[in-house]
Amino acid sequence: MKHINKQGRGKMKKIISFILGCFVALNLSISVANSAANEVRVAYFLEWPSPNLEDMMKKNFAKALGVPVKWTNFTNGGAMTDAMLAGDIDISYSQGLVPFINAVKSKAPIKLVDVAMEYGMGGTTCVTSNASGITKANATELEGKKVAVPLGTMAEYVFDESMKVVGADRKKMDIIQMDPEEGAAALVSGDVVMACLFGGNSIKAATAVGSRLLTVQEARDAGILGIDITSVTTKFMKENPGMLRTFIEVTHEANARYRAGKSDMNSMSKASEMKVADMKETLSGFKFLTPEETKQSMESGNLDAFLKGMGTPRGNVDTSFLPL
Amino acid sequence: MLTQILTFLIFFAVVGCILYGRRLIRTEKVDAVFGNPERALGGTHWVIVGSSFLLLIWLYYSWDIAKGFYPKSANELCQVAKVNDSLLGLKYQFPIEEREFKSTSQIKKENKNLKLIQNEIQNSEELNSQQKTILVNYISKTNQLIPLLTNEDLLEIETQQKIDDITGKINLLTENFQKSDYPFETEQELNERLKAVDEEGGWGITKVDAGSGSIENTLEVPLVPATYRGLKFHTAAQELNLISDEFFKLRNHNPQFKNKIKELKEEIKSYRKNLSDSEEVASTYAKNIVKIARRIEFASIYPPNALDQMQAAIIKFDNAQKKEQGGLRLIDVFLFPAGTIVASGPSCSEQGSGRWLPKPSDTFNKFILMSKPSVGYKDIPLLWIQMVDVSKMIGFILPDWIADILPGEYPVHSKDGIVKQNFKGGVLKIVTGDFNLFKVPVPYGHIWDSFLRVFLGLVFGILIGVPLGLFMGLNRFAKGFFDPLIELYRPVPPLAWAPLIISVLGIDNTGKVFLLFMVSLSIMIISARAGASGTQLSKIHAAHSLGASKRQILRHVIFPNSLPEILTGIRVAVGMCWGTLVAAEFLAGTTGIGFVENVAKKYFQYEVIWITIFIMGMLGLLFDITLRKIIDKTIPWRGKG
Repeated sequence: MKHINKQGRGKMKKIISFILGCFVALNLSISVANSAANEVRVAYFLEWPSPNLEDMMKKNFAKALGVPVKWTNFTNGGAMTDAMLAGDIDISYSQGLVPFINAVKSKAPIKLVDVAMEYGMGGTTCVTSNASGITKANATELEGKKVAVPLGTMAEYVFDESMKVVGADRKKMDIIQMDPEEGAAALVSGDVVMACLFGGNSIKAATAVGSRLLTVQEARDAGILGIDITSVTTKFMKENPGMLRTFIEVTHEANARYRAGKSDMNSMSKASEMKVADMKETLSGFKFLTPEETKQSMESGNLDAFLKGMGTPRGNVDTSFLPL
Repeated sequence: MLTQILTFLIFFAVVGCILYGRRLIRTEKVDAVFGNPERALGGTHWVIVGSSFLLLIWLYYSWDIAKGFYPKSANELCQVAKVNDSLLGLKYQFPIEEREFKSTSQIKKENKNLKLIQNEIQNSEELNSQQKTILVNYISKTNQLIPLLTNEDLLEIETQQKIDDITGKINLLTENFQKSDYPFETEQELNERLKAVDEEGGWGITKVDAGSGSIENTLEVPLVPATYRGLKFHTAAQELNLISDEFFKLRNHNPQFKNKIKELKEEIKSYRKNLSDSEEVASTYAKNIVKIARRIEFASIYPPNALDQMQAAIIKFDNAQKKEQGGLRLIDVFLFPAGTIVASGPSCSEQGSGRWLPKPSDTFNKFILMSKPSVGYKDIPLLWIQMVDVSKMIGFILPDWIADILPGEYPVHSKDGIVKQNFKGGVLKIVTGDFNLFKVPVPYGHIWDSFLRVFLGLVFGILIGVPLGLFMGLNRFAKGFFDPLIELYRPVPPLAWAPLIISVLGIDNTGKVFLLFMVSLSIMIISARAGASGTQLSKIHAAHSLGASKRQILRHVIFPNSLPEILTGIRVAVGMCWGTLVAAEFLAGTTGIGFVENVAKKYFQYEVIWITIFIMGMLGLLFDITLRKIIDKTIPWRGKG
C-alpha cells in the first residue's frame, strides 16, 4: 500500500511540474519579440498589376532599402491582415480598403500609409445575368432573388453602393457569400441572378453570360470608386520609419515612370502572372496617384470620404511617409 | 462578478477532487493488477478536474480572470502601453532593447552595401574601366560622408543645444512624473474625464447595431484613463510624443556634410545625364549609389557619444515609469499571459492570446445576444420557429407536372380583364401550394439548416448504402460489379468533390446534401458489407435447417447480425459528416453554422467563431449520445454474441 502511495505522489509531482513547465514555456514563447529587421516582408496580389512590380522583379526594392525584400502573394486582403497580425508580413501593398477597415475596426495594430491605386468598376463590379433580364432600369426585381457577393471585400462595398444608385433594397435580397470564381460559376449556371466580383478572369467569365449592372462610366459618375492602399504594422512603422519611407518613395517613382510611359511591361506582366494585353487592359482602369494627390485623398479626398462613410475609427492614417 | 465566483468554484473543485482522488487511491482496496480494465472504471471526480482545468485555461489565457478581478487593469495597462508606444521610436535609437546603436547598425549596413556594389562594379563585364573608376570614386565619396556625421568636432552647436534641450525635457518629465500630484487636474477636468469614462463603458462590452442587425465588434479596451495612475501615464505619453517628434525632426547635418552631399548628388546627376542610352548599366549603378547617400542623409546618425546623456535620460525615465506601475506589472505578468495590452496610435487593443481567444464572459454574452431571434446572424436567427402553412409543404411534395398532364387549357383572361378559374388552374394552385390551409410551427435558422443537411445526407446514405452493402456481402455479382466503383471513390476525400459541386449541382442545399451523402454512403456500404459477411455460418445453417426462407434468413439472421456494424458505421459517418459540413457551407451559403463561421472570420469576430465551434461540438455530441441510446435500445445483444 505504502509503495503505491509513494508512486502516486511521484507521478503527481511529475504531472504538476510538467504542467507548470508548459505554462512557462507557452507564456515565454509567445512574448519573444523578433528584433530589428533583417529583411522586409511584403504582401501583394497576383493578377493585380502595378508599376512597382517591375522594381520587385529587378530587386530594386532591396537595393533601395538596403536589406532583402521578400514578396509573398495573397488571394485576399483579409489574409494579409492575418499574416500581419501573426508577424509574418510587414507591409501589405494594394490591400483593399474594406479588409483594412474591417481589420482596424477589430483593433488590429496596422496603419494606412499610402494609396496604392484608385480604380473604377473596371476591376470590381456587379454583373447581372442576361437570362434574368434585370438591368439598371428594373433593378428592384433583384429583391427576393439570389445574388452572390464576396462579403468583407471591396466587392461588397461596390454592391452596397450600386444598390443605392439603382434604388434596390439589399435587405430584401438573398445574399450568398461566394468568392469571385464561384460567384462567376453560379452566374453561369443560373443559380444567382447577379454576382459581384473582382479579378479579370472572373469578370470575363461572368460577362460572357451577363452584363454589368452599371457601366464603368455610370459607376464613375455615381462616385463608386475602389481604393487599394498600402498598410503597415505599427511595429515596423516605429522600428524602421526610414525603410518605410524608402519603400513608398520607390513605389511612387515607379508610378511616375508608368505615367511617363516608361514602365517595362514585360517584367510587370511576369510579376503579376498575366498576359501583357490583359494586364494593360486591367491597368487602364487603375489610377496611380502622385504623392500630392495621395495626400489630398488621404486628408480630405476620396479615401477620407470612404473611411468616414464606413465609420472607421480615426487615427489609423499616417501621411508622414509620403515623398513630398 | 460571475467570473470571480466561477474561478473560485473551479479552484475549489479542482483542489477538492484531487484530494478526494488521492484519498481514494489510499483507501480503496482493488485487487486488480495493472492492465485490468477495472482500474479505469469510475472516476467522476477526475472528470470534474479535467473539465475544470479546461475552463480554467480558457479563463486564464483569455484574460477573463484579469477582467474579473481587476476590471480596471486593462485601462491602466492601455495608458502604460501609450507611454511605451511613445517611447518606442526613441528607444530603437539606443542599445536599450537592441544590441547596438541605430547609428552603428545603419553605418554597418551601409558600409556593407557600399562594398557589395563596389564588388559588383569591379567584376562587371558590361562596364568599361573608365566607368568603373568614376563609379568607384563615387562610392568612396559616399563612404567619406559618414565620418562627417560621426565626427564630434563637426557637430554643430545648434544641434548640440537641441539635443541638450530634448534631454532636459525628458529629465524634467521624469522628475515631474515621480511627483505624487503629477499631473495637476482641476475639479472640472476630473469631472469631465470621469464622465468620458462613464460614456465609454467598461472592458469588453458588446454593442448591438440595431440598424444593420449585425453584432459589431466589442469595444476591446477603454481608452480614457479611468484611474489617477492611468491619467499620469496618459499625460506623460502625450508629452513624450512631442519630445519624440522633436527628436526625429532633428538632423545632424553640418555645413560640410551638406556641401559634400550636394556636390556628390549634382556630380552624379550630371554624369548620368551625359551617359548615352547604351550605358544604362552605369547609370543604374550611379543611381543606386545616390540612393545609399540619401539613406545616410536621412538616417539619424550622430557622433558616438553625442547622445549619451539622452540615452541616460531615457533609461531613467523608463525605470521611473516601471517603478510607477507598481502592482500593475505583476498583474501584467501573471494575469495577462502570452501577450498584453498594446497601444497603437490612438487606440488600445489586446494582442496575444487575449485577442483570438475571447473571454468566456464575452462569448457567453454574445451567444445570448445571437440567440435572440431578432438579432441572430446576418438577419437569420440561430434557431427559431416560424409558422408555415401546410399548403407550402403539399406544394413542395406534389410535382408541378401533375397539372400539366391534365386535359384542357390553363385559364386565359377575358375581354373584361377578368380571369376565370377552371379545373386545370385549380390543380396547378394546389400542386404549387398556392392556397391557404392551416399553419404549423417549423423550426428554422442556422443551426436547424446545418442539422437538416447532416440529417438528410445521413438518411440518404443509409437508405442506399445499407441495402447495397448487404447485397454486396451476399452476392458475387453485386460484389464484383460495385467493388471497383466503391473502392475507387471511397478513398477520395469528400472535399475533393467540392470544386465541382457548384458547377454541377448549384448552390442550393442539393449540393451540400450530396457532399454529405457521398461521405456517409461509402461508410455505410463498408460497414453493412462487413456486417453481412461476418455473420456466423452456424447461425445461418441453423436457420436453414429450421426451414427458413431466404427472406427470413436475411430479415432474422443476417440483418440483426450486421446491425452492430451498421450502427457503428452510422456513428462514424455522423462525425465525418459534421467535419465535411463546415467546409461544404464555406463554399456558398446564406445559412448554416459553417456559413456563420466563414463570415465571422472575414470580419475578425472571434467570439462568433468560438460560438460556432462550441455549437458544432455540442450538436456532434448530441447526435452521438442519441445514437448511443439507440444502439443500447435496439441491439442489446451487441458484444454478447
